Amino acid sequence: MKQIFVDIDKCTGCLTCTLACAAEHSSSKDIVGAMLEKVQPRISVEAVNGKAVPLMCRHCEEPTCVDACMTGAMQKDKETGIVSNENNDQSCIGCWMCIMACPYGAIQPNEEEGIAIKCDKCNGREVPACVESCHTGALLYVDGKTFTQEKLTKTAKALTEAS
Amino acid sequence: MQYVIIGNSAAGTQAAETIRKYDSAGNIVIISDEPHAAYSRCLLPDYLAGERSEKTILFKSANFYGRNNVATMFGKKAVDIDSENQKVYLGDGHTVSYDKLLIATGSSAFVPPIKGIDESGIFNLRNLDDAVGIKEAAKKARRVVVVGGGFVGLEAAYSLYSLGLEVTVVERLSQIVPGQFDVKAAAILRNDMQAEGIRIITGDGIKEIAGPSLWNRLFNKTGKGVLLDSGERLKCELVVVATGTRANVGLTDKTGIKVNRGIEINEYMETNVPNIYAAGDVAETVDVVSGELGLSPIWPNAIVQGRMAGLNMVGQTRKYSKMIGMQNSVEFRNVPAIAIGLTRTPDDCEEMVIHRPHLNYYRKLILKDDILKGMIFVGDIRRAGVYAALIKKKVPVTKFKQQLLKESFGYSSIIS
Amino acid sequence: MSDCKTCPSVDNCYSAHETVNQMQERLDDMGVDTVFTRYEKQQPQCGFGMQGVCCQLCSHGPCRITPKASKGICGASADTIVARNLVRLTTHGVAAYSHHLEELAKTIKATANGKTPYKIQDEGKLREIAKVAGLDLNKTANELAEQLADVILSDLRKDSGEPLAMLELFAPETRKKVWRELGVIPGGVHSEIRDALTKTMSNINTDPIDLLLTSLRLSIATGYTGLVATVTLQDILLGTPEVTESEADLGIIDPDTVNIVAHGHVPLVATAVLGAIESDEMIKYAKEAGANGIKVYGSMCTGQELMQRKGTTASNYSGQLGNWLSQEHHIATGAIDLVMMDMNCSIPGMKSVADKFHTKLVSVDRILRMEGVKDNVDYDPEKVEEQAKELVKMAVDTYKKRDKGKVQIPGHKSAAVAGFSVESILGALGGSLDPLLDEIKKGNIKGIAAVVGCTNNRNGHDDKGLTIMKEFIKNDVLVIAAGCMSSGAEIEGLMLPSAADQAGDGLKAVCNALGVPPVLNFGSCVDIGRIGAAVTAIAGALGVDPSQLPVVASAPEYLEQKAIADGIFAVSFGLLTHLGPVPPVTGSPLVTKVLTEDIEGLTGGKVLVEEDPVKAVEKMLAHIEKKRQGLGI
Ligand SMILES: Cc1cc2nc3c(=O)[nH]c(=O)nc-3n(C[C@H](O)[C@H](O)[C@H](O)COP(=O)(O)OP(=O)(O)OC[C@H]3O[C@@H](n4cnc5c(N)ncnc54)[C@H](O)[C@@H]3O)c2cc1C
Repeated sequence: MKQIFVDIDKCTGCLTCTLACAAEHSSSKDIVGAMLEKVQPRISVEAVNGKAVPLMCRHCEEPTCVDACMTGAMQKDKETGIVSNENNDQSCIGCWMCIMACPYGAIQPNEEEGIAIKCDKCNGREVPACVESCHTGALLYVDGKTFTQEKLTKTAKALTEAS
Repeated sequence: MQYVIIGNSAAGTQAAETIRKYDSAGNIVIISDEPHAAYSRCLLPDYLAGERSEKTILFKSANFYGRNNVATMFGKKAVDIDSENQKVYLGDGHTVSYDKLLIATGSSAFVPPIKGIDESGIFNLRNLDDAVGIKEAAKKARRVVVVGGGFVGLEAAYSLYSLGLEVTVVERLSQIVPGQFDVKAAAILRNDMQAEGIRIITGDGIKEIAGPSLWNRLFNKTGKGVLLDSGERLKCELVVVATGTRANVGLTDKTGIKVNRGIEINEYMETNVPNIYAAGDVAETVDVVSGELGLSPIWPNAIVQGRMAGLNMVGQTRKYSKMIGMQNSVEFRNVPAIAIGLTRTPDDCEEMVIHRPHLNYYRKLILKDDILKGMIFVGDIRRAGVYAALIKKKVPVTKFKQQLLKESFGYSSIIS
Repeated sequence: MSDCKTCPSVDNCYSAHETVNQMQERLDDMGVDTVFTRYEKQQPQCGFGMQGVCCQLCSHGPCRITPKASKGICGASADTIVARNLVRLTTHGVAAYSHHLEELAKTIKATANGKTPYKIQDEGKLREIAKVAGLDLNKTANELAEQLADVILSDLRKDSGEPLAMLELFAPETRKKVWRELGVIPGGVHSEIRDALTKTMSNINTDPIDLLLTSLRLSIATGYTGLVATVTLQDILLGTPEVTESEADLGIIDPDTVNIVAHGHVPLVATAVLGAIESDEMIKYAKEAGANGIKVYGSMCTGQELMQRKGTTASNYSGQLGNWLSQEHHIATGAIDLVMMDMNCSIPGMKSVADKFHTKLVSVDRILRMEGVKDNVDYDPEKVEEQAKELVKMAVDTYKKRDKGKVQIPGHKSAAVAGFSVESILGALGGSLDPLLDEIKKGNIKGIAAVVGCTNNRNGHDDKGLTIMKEFIKNDVLVIAAGCMSSGAEIEGLMLPSAADQAGDGLKAVCNALGVPPVLNFGSCVDIGRIGAAVTAIAGALGVDPSQLPVVASAPEYLEQKAIADGIFAVSFGLLTHLGPVPPVTGSPLVTKVLTEDIEGLTGGKVLVEEDPVKAVEKMLAHIEKKRQGLGI
C-alpha cells in the first residue's frame, strides 16, 4: 500500500503542499478559489527551530483516532487503508476525541463547521495533491513495504517509534 | 466455538467485530437488555438537543450484525452466570451456553439516596430510553434542575438549554466538572456556560426533591421542585440526576469473579475465572499514569479493551498496553477543553502553566522528573494527542521542555 | 534564547532585556500579538524566499528555482534571480536614505533663510566641509549652509554619468582607484535608483555579475550621500556629538509626566518638540491636565540622535527606551501617551498594542502612513514650530485618557555614555589620533569592530549582538556601535566606563586610562557614516587603505533594506563584513561565492556569514590578526 513519506532534509517550508491540499479539498479545485472558500489544509508544516517539518496523517494500522471516535465516523477503509471521518455512514460531530487521541497531532479542528478534518489521501487520487505539488521531492508517495532507501526508512521509523 | 458477549455497546460490538475477523466459523451471540441496535451513548446529549436522531446516534453501519454474522438477543437481561457449566441465564428464563464469555455490561447511572427521588419527572441520562423520557418530559417543562455538575450533567444541561428550558445546575462540590478538570479550567468553562444563560450553583447539595403535594404543603403554592441544603428552593418540572456511574457487576455475584469497583482483569482481558473476559466501563485495568488498577469509563478505552478481549478470546494472544484512564474532551458551548491523566498537581510533581482566563485560555502540564503525567488544555486543544502520547509512552521531555507550552509545539518537536 | 542569562524569564524568553520579557508576558496575558509571537506564527518560513530564488516580477511567475526547475519560466537562472532581488533590496535602501537626506537638506536651506526654529549649530564643521568643497569661506554661515545643501541636493539629482561630489571629496584615494577600476563610481543618486529599478525589470538586465556591480554602485552612493552627507548635515544643523551621559531602558519612564516617544530615524520633528516642551504654555497645559511635566524619550535611531548631541537635544531628552523589536513593549507600559513616528522602522503591529492602551500614534513624515492611524502631522520645516506644539498638545490630551491603573513600568534602567564621533574622540585624545593608533600598534587594542545595524529576533532579540560585543572586548577589540545595536548595548550597561571590567587586559587599561567605555556609542544607524569617517581618518593617519586596517564590521542582527545597502557598502569599503541572519542569496552559488570569497580580490572586503556569534568573532579576530600582520604590527 502506498504511503506518503517525508524526506525531511528536502523540505524548505514553502507551504506549497498546504495550498495544493486546500485546493484539492475545495470546490473550485484551485489555490485562489480555496483561499476564497477558506478551505483548511489537512497537511501542516511544523517548524522546529526554524526547520520545516511536514506533518500529515500516517493512516496507522491500528488508528487511535478510530478507536476514540464516539460517532463511528472515523474509519479505516479495509481496501484502501485510508483513515477518514468523511463519506462514511456516520458523521463527525466535532467532539475532538480524535484530536485527543492522535499522537501525531495530525487532525485539526475545523471550528467553523464543528468537525475534525484530516488527510484523506485525496480520497483515491492516484498521487495525493500535496505530493504532486512538492517541488523539492520532500514528499513522496511510495510503497511502504518495498521502500528501502535508508534515509526514508529512518524517517518512517522515527515517526512510528515516537508514537 | 460459541462466543457470548453481554453488552451491545462500545466494548461488546468491537469484540464481536474483532472475533469475526479471525474466526469466520464460530458463533457469536450478543446479549443486551436494551432493545436497540448499538448506539453511542456519548451522543445522547445531542439526541436530547434534537441534533441527532435515533438513526444518527448509531455508531455501526446498519448491516453490522448481518455482515459479521452476529446473533443478537436484544431486550434480554443476563441475570446469572454458571461458570462451571459455562452458561448464561437470561431474565426470561432462557440460557445461553458459551465457550468464551465477554462481560461488557458497562455502567449505570448512580442514583444517590435523596428524599423524594422516586417522584415523577426525575431522570438519569445513561440510556437511550432515559433520553427519550427526558425529551418527552421536557415538552411540558419550563424549568429543569440538573443534579450534578459533572461532565454528563453539564452536557444534559446544555442540551436542555438548547431546547429552550431554563436550566439550573447544582453541584455539591465547589467547582463544576470536579472529576475531569481542575479549579481553573472549571472556572473558565463555568463562565462560558453562565454567559450563555445557564445558572450554576456550586457548593450546595440537594436536600430533597419535592413533589406537588409536598411543595404545596411547604409553600402553599402549586408546583414542584428541589430544595437545597442551603435552604434555597428551585422550582422545576424536570430533574435530571447525573451524579456519577457505577459498574454493572451485578451478574457476577455467584461466579467467584473477582470484583473491586469493577471486574478485575489481567492484561489479556481475562477475569480470574477461566473463559470469562471483561472489557469496557465494567472492567478494571491498570492505569498508565498511576500504575494502579481502576475503572476507566471512557469510550476509547472501551473500544480498545473490546478489541483486545476479542483478540484474546479468539486465541490471538495480545497484551493490552496500559492506557490513560482519564481522558476527557468537552465543548459545552464554544470553549473546547481537554484533560488527560492527572489534573491536580501532587506535591512531588512540577507544573507548567499559562492561565489567561479572560481569553478563555488555559494550559497546564503536570510533570514528574521530566515525565509528563497530565495535562489540561482549555481554549485551544490542537495537538492534545501529542501530549497524550508523551504521557502514555513516558517520554522524557527534558530536551524540549521549554517548547512544551508553546502553541507551536508538535510531534516534530519530539522527533527532531 | 538558550545561551542568554540576562534575566530570569527562562520559560518565556524572547529578548536579552529583562524589561522586554516582562512586557512580553504582560502582552501575552492580554492576548496581544507582538513581533515575537508573530514570528512564531510565521514558522516555518519559506525556504525559497529565504534563499532568494523566488521571483514575482512578471505574470509568468511567480517562479522559484527548485530541484526540478533550474530556471524561471523566462529562463532566468538562480544566479540572475538572486542578484536581481539583491539589487532591488539595495535600491530600496538607497532610496530611503536619500529621502532622509533630502528632508535634511531642505531643512538646512529653510533654516539658512530664517524660516525654521532651527539654527546652524556647528559652524566650525560647516566651514571645514565648505572648505573641502571649495566654497567661498567669506560667506556667512547661513549662505555657506545653503550652498552646501545645494551641493548635496545636486548629488541626489544629477545624472548617473556625473560622479558624486561627496565621494570625490571624502573617499580615500585608494578606494576611488579600486572603484574606478571596477566601474562602480556612482553618479546622481536618484538617477542610480532609476537605472537600478529599470535594470531589474524582469526582462532587461539578467547578468548576475553586472547586477552585483550595480549593487556595489548603489551601496557606494549610499555611503557618501545617505550616510556621510546625512551625518555631516545633521551635525551642522543640530550639533556635532560630544561625549555625554544619558539613560536607557523602560525603567526611565516617569509615571507622572506626559510621555512622548520620538521614534524613527529623522530627528527633526523631535528636536522641535524638545524645544516646545520647554515653553511655559506647554508646561502649563500639561500641569492643568494633572501631569508633573512633559518628557520626550527616544526609541530607535531618532532617540540615538537626540541622545548624542550634548549641546542641544541631549539636555532635555529623557533617555532611550529601546530599539526595533521593543517598540510594542514600550507602549505596553501603559505610560506612553504619544508616539511620533518619523520616516522608517515603525512596526505595523504597534497599532494593535496601542489600541489596548490609550496611546496615540502619529505620523510625522509625509511618506509614513500606518494602517489604522488617523493622525498625521507631516513635517514641514517652515511650520515645525507650530507642529511641535500641536504634537505636545495631542500628547497632553491623550495623557488625560491614561488609565493609571494600567501603568506598569519595569524597574530596570542603565546609565549610558553617548556622543562619540571623530571630533569628540580627537578632542578626548588631545587633537590627534596618535594615542589611539599607538595602542593599536602596541596591541593593547587589537583592532576595531563596528557592531552595527538592526536587531532581529530570528536569532533572539539583541542576544547575538550583545554576545558579539562582549566577545570582542574580551579579546581587546574596541567596539564601536551604532543603530539598534547601540540601544541594546546601552540597556545592558556596555556603554559605561565600568564595562571595561569585561574587557581584556589591554583594552581595559586603555579604557580606564581614558575613562571611556569599551563599546563606544556612535549613535544611530545613519552614524555608520561616522564610523566610515573614523576609519577613513585612521587609514589616512597611517597612510594605508581602509582594507589594510585591523577593522571589521558586523551586523549580527541585520533586518531591512537600508542595512543591506550599508552592508554592501562596508564590503565595497574594504571591510570584512559579518552578517548574522543569512541574507537571501544562498540560492545562487555564484552570488554566494562572489560575496563571500571572490570580491575580496576586488575590494578587499567580503561578507562573512556565521550565525553562531562566538564563532563569528573567532573568524573576525583571525581577520584582524591577518591585517595586523600585513601592517607589520
Ligand atoms: C451522556 C453520556 C456522554 C458520554 N460522553 C462521553 C464522551 O464524550 N467521551 C467518552 O470517552 N465517554 C463518554 N461517555 C462514556 C461512554 O459512553 C462509555 O465509556 C462507553 O459507552 C462504555 O462502553 P461499554 O461498552 O463499556 O459499556 P456501555 O456503553 O455502558 O454499554 C453496556 C451495555 O450493556 C448493557 N447491559 C448491562 N448489564 C446487562 C445485563 N446484565 N444484561 C444485558 N445487557 C446488559 C447495558 O444496558 C448497555 O447497553 C459518555 C456517557 C454518557 C452516558
